[in-house]
Amino acid sequence: MSEQHGFVRRYVFSTDHKTIGIQYILTGLLMALAGGLLATLIRLQLGWPDHQWLFLSRLLPKGMPSGVMTPEFYLAVVTMHGTIMVFFFISYVLVSGFGNYLVPLQVGARDMAFPFLNMLSYWIAFLAAGVMLASFFVEGGAAAAGWTAYPPLSAVSSAVPGSQMGQTIWILSMALFIASFTMSGLNIVATVFSVRAPGMWMMRLPLTVWSYFIASILGLLAFPPLTAAAVMLLLDRHFGTSFFLPSGMVIGNTHLTNTGGSPLLWQHLFWFLGHPEVYVLILPALGVACDIIPAFTRKPVFGYRMSVWCLMAVGCLSMIVWGHHMFVSGMSPFTGEYFSLVTLTITVPMTIFGVNMLASLWGAKLQLRVPMMFSLGVLALFGSGGFGGLFLGNATADMQLHDTYFVVGHFHMMIGGVTLLATFGAIYFWFPKMFGRMMNETLGKLHFWTTFLPFFTIFFMQHFLGLQGAPRRYYAFTAYDYLQKTRGQNLIISIAAMILVSSQCVFAINFVWSLFKGRVAEANPWGATTLEWTVPSPPPHGNFGNMPVVERWAYEYGVQTVDGDFAVQTVPSQIAPVSA
Amino acid sequence: MNGYAGHVGRVLPDPPDPIRLREDQLRLGLWMFLATVTMLFAAFTSAYVVRRSGSDWHHIALPSILWVNTFVLMASSVAVEMANRFGLRRRWPATAFSFGAALAFGIAFLGGQVIAWRQMVAMGVYLPSNPHSSFFYMLTGAHAVHIVAALIVLLWGLAMTREGSRNPRAWAAQMDLCRTFWHYLGGVWIFLFALVSLY
Amino acid sequence: MPSPDSHAHPRFARHATLLALMFAATGIGGVVYGARAWMPELASRHGAGIDSMLTYLLVSVGGLFLVSYLALAYFIWRGGRRTAIGPRFASRRTERALSIALGVGMAIIAEGGVLAIGMPVWAEYFDAAPPADAIVIDVTAQQFMWNVRYPGPDGVFGRTEPRLIDDTTNPIGMDRTDPAGKDDIITLNEITVPFGRAVRIRLHSKDVIHSFFLPNFRVKQDAVPGMTPEVVFFPTKTGHFEIACAELCGLAHYRMRGFFNVVPPADFDTWLHKQQESQ
Repeated sequence: MSEQHGFVRRYVFSTDHKTIGIQYILTGLLMALAGGLLATLIRLQLGWPDHQWLFLSRLLPKGMPSGVMTPEFYLAVVTMHGTIMVFFFISYVLVSGFGNYLVPLQVGARDMAFPFLNMLSYWIAFLAAGVMLASFFVEGGAAAAGWTAYPPLSAVSSAVPGSQMGQTIWILSMALFIASFTMSGLNIVATVFSVRAPGMWMMRLPLTVWSYFIASILGLLAFPPLTAAAVMLLLDRHFGTSFFLPSGMVIGNTHLTNTGGSPLLWQHLFWFLGHPEVYVLILPALGVACDIIPAFTRKPVFGYRMSVWCLMAVGCLSMIVWGHHMFVSGMSPFTGEYFSLVTLTITVPMTIFGVNMLASLWGAKLQLRVPMMFSLGVLALFGSGGFGGLFLGNATADMQLHDTYFVVGHFHMMIGGVTLLATFGAIYFWFPKMFGRMMNETLGKLHFWTTFLPFFTIFFMQHFLGLQGAPRRYYAFTAYDYLQKTRGQNLIISIAAMILVSSQCVFAINFVWSLFKGRVAEANPWGATTLEWTVPSPPPHGNFGNMPVVERWAYEYGVQTVDGDFAVQTVPSQIAPVSA
Repeated sequence: MNGYAGHVGRVLPDPPDPIRLREDQLRLGLWMFLATVTMLFAAFTSAYVVRRSGSDWHHIALPSILWVNTFVLMASSVAVEMANRFGLRRRWPATAFSFGAALAFGIAFLGGQVIAWRQMVAMGVYLPSNPHSSFFYMLTGAHAVHIVAALIVLLWGLAMTREGSRNPRAWAAQMDLCRTFWHYLGGVWIFLFALVSLY
Repeated sequence: MPSPDSHAHPRFARHATLLALMFAATGIGGVVYGARAWMPELASRHGAGIDSMLTYLLVSVGGLFLVSYLALAYFIWRGGRRTAIGPRFASRRTERALSIALGVGMAIIAEGGVLAIGMPVWAEYFDAAPPADAIVIDVTAQQFMWNVRYPGPDGVFGRTEPRLIDDTTNPIGMDRTDPAGKDDIITLNEITVPFGRAVRIRLHSKDVIHSFFLPNFRVKQDAVPGMTPEVVFFPTKTGHFEIACAELCGLAHYRMRGFFNVVPPADFDTWLHKQQESQ
């Protein structure tokens, strides 16, 4: 290694958006491994509540002494699973990772608008992930108040062991995460606004870019209130203020001196972020799937313009519906009805968007390659997850379903499943562009089948656990008579979860094997139309030799050119007719 | 690796005016950053309004030095404007002087805020004393953090002024960023001051 | 060659059939699995409204779910067999008409359900004045139990004061000097109510947020420290039911169990009398 310095600049502290994107993706996948192992622990506990896992007691002597998980470790695991998956896996891989990699390439830019800020963003994100993982090892263990961190549970250190140092570290890590995500979002918005290639009008952008653009704006506007709330929580925890702590609290027979604060204030601020945040995650997933689908149907997406308007409408609506997480919180019932009606309005653009995706399959010459299978999985889970939303957005139905497993099933279908399958679809689709090699098709198909089926089983069944009244975040369902009959269902769910987790080994093997031994990829292995496919795989530093001039929209499939039945965005109008 | 074998489209040189593009990007980035700052203080404000209705709210007497600080910050904004005017007329020494004055006023504002905090402490009013004081310390603290960031930007602007004579157009663009950021934080302060003293 | 195969590959067709079968089976299987009586036995009047809301949603959403999964399956099956694509575009009019039809249809299903079925239930539950003969019960949640208080024969609750709270001797901070509190009846984790009267529960929390959840009565209300939300409902069945906590409140959240008994009025009087004597 004579070029040690060059290596560091090129692969570690790089300002190239492609390197940073890949760094984000790899970091996020490692965090997913951590989050997935935590999920395994959760399912072990819920499927076999009394079983003594002796080998685990050696691995985790504090969390599972004698092989049975302690309740404090269980709550820490649940909290960290949620936090890691939402903020450190999906946000990193799908939003920041693929956002960084794809946006400049797809708009025809040489790099992000602010490359240095981009590098800073990644390293802060890396730090945030490390800090979050480190919180397992502090006094009292990791934060245990749920990923929503409702005070007073999260504000008073004696309320639950995780609210000692663990919660403080959770807040600090989230602060770093927000800083990094803000930088990343600023970059994406500025890049889409200012460095599009000539001819790349907004209405010619691929839906991927549109979804990243809207998701980034949402993130920029929605995260600051969480920052504000986190500052107040930190002051309540360590400096004796009473923003969220009311008068007259007695915890563990100790009288607290706080007066007059409002626990609901946190919920309002948290969900003002929290609800847009789920769209920050899900819009890129849908956008990516929308761009993968036409490459394998060999025809343009259905209703492009309408889909763009739907994305915008969803973005706007998502900012004014946060109260649907608080129907039974003691908030005024009139507010509840308002939030219910506005929330259900979201079904209108989302339905149109979903059916546009489905209608893109109409008249298709379908080629079921692995990325396409995952995109179809995205579509299927988006349907079933969205239908669950009709129950939960409805305040009357939510009275029974709030904080039950119905909610768990619903959001795992959406921000768990849609995003997970879209992430896999994106990895299989853009892996050849990133690393210049194809991933193995057979292993990929195996991975799809062993991911989709158990995933669907797990979270579909959880909806019905919720209808039976099984509350979420329960350490076990053993204490209640009416929950005894859920034991069998939990066992099936746990077995499916084990299959799901082990099938990810297939993906890991495929990923590593293909990195070194995969078939060498051409510049445009899928016959796709967007700009990244006009450059070699992997693209050189600076992306484009000559700046590309965009002549058409991103979905010119079904026209004859010398390339085949499609025209990439740079093909002039003399050669093939321009649709948009 | 193998290149793209298909059609080669039209070829244009790189954007003809990279400086102009950079200015646009920076201005855009700044405004988006200011949008996040707005959302941050909007969240604090709504929390303030909610918490204000609590039964334990006492309005505390705020130190009168805050008025002085407000005028100092306004003077600083005026100085930045003067620096801009001088710069446009290519009067570089006057520009640098005004810019330095703006920076000095900005630092004086921070000092004044610290004095205000110390006066509050001397009166026995601490962060947790009551909700109004909690908000006062938190809001002024959050604002001060942003002021520190803006002072660093102003420092960068002052350094650039020394090279302003070489490329006045680039200088004017940087100056715009400094002005926007600084006046914006001045506006935020006036809003916060009105909020904590009037409501 | 970068260009994809120009005619349908038999391999694609085979996979398409398999995948289509899988999605069709998922859709049908999902509906079959879901079409069962999942809800806990119903025991309250407004709960019937909530159940009809849920039934409406289960039926309409179940239908949409089935239709969309079958459509997905059909498109995959058919698409895998095509050797050339169909028309590239639908007309702008078709696109617009489809969007409008979908938007309006979805709005009717979703918002219509809320307005026609949900609102009346919501109004009955929240806005109706509690009946005068409702039995009033004070429930104070704490980690990890429910302190229950009845006003006693005088019908008036004694004063409470948080600073008087002592977990062993005075768990809800009763002011012993208040004459109204002398006959208050306090039980732990057990609420008994007479059949035939409305129940009015005033919720408090001493420490963190809990949620008072009666699965059989379709009642769920967070108990938030610093607030006193009230729930009013009308039991329609006698029997012994369970109270669960539905908001994460700490280590024993999963076993913060209480009992809710609806008994004939005569039995209630006996029970109350017995409790009073043991106070």
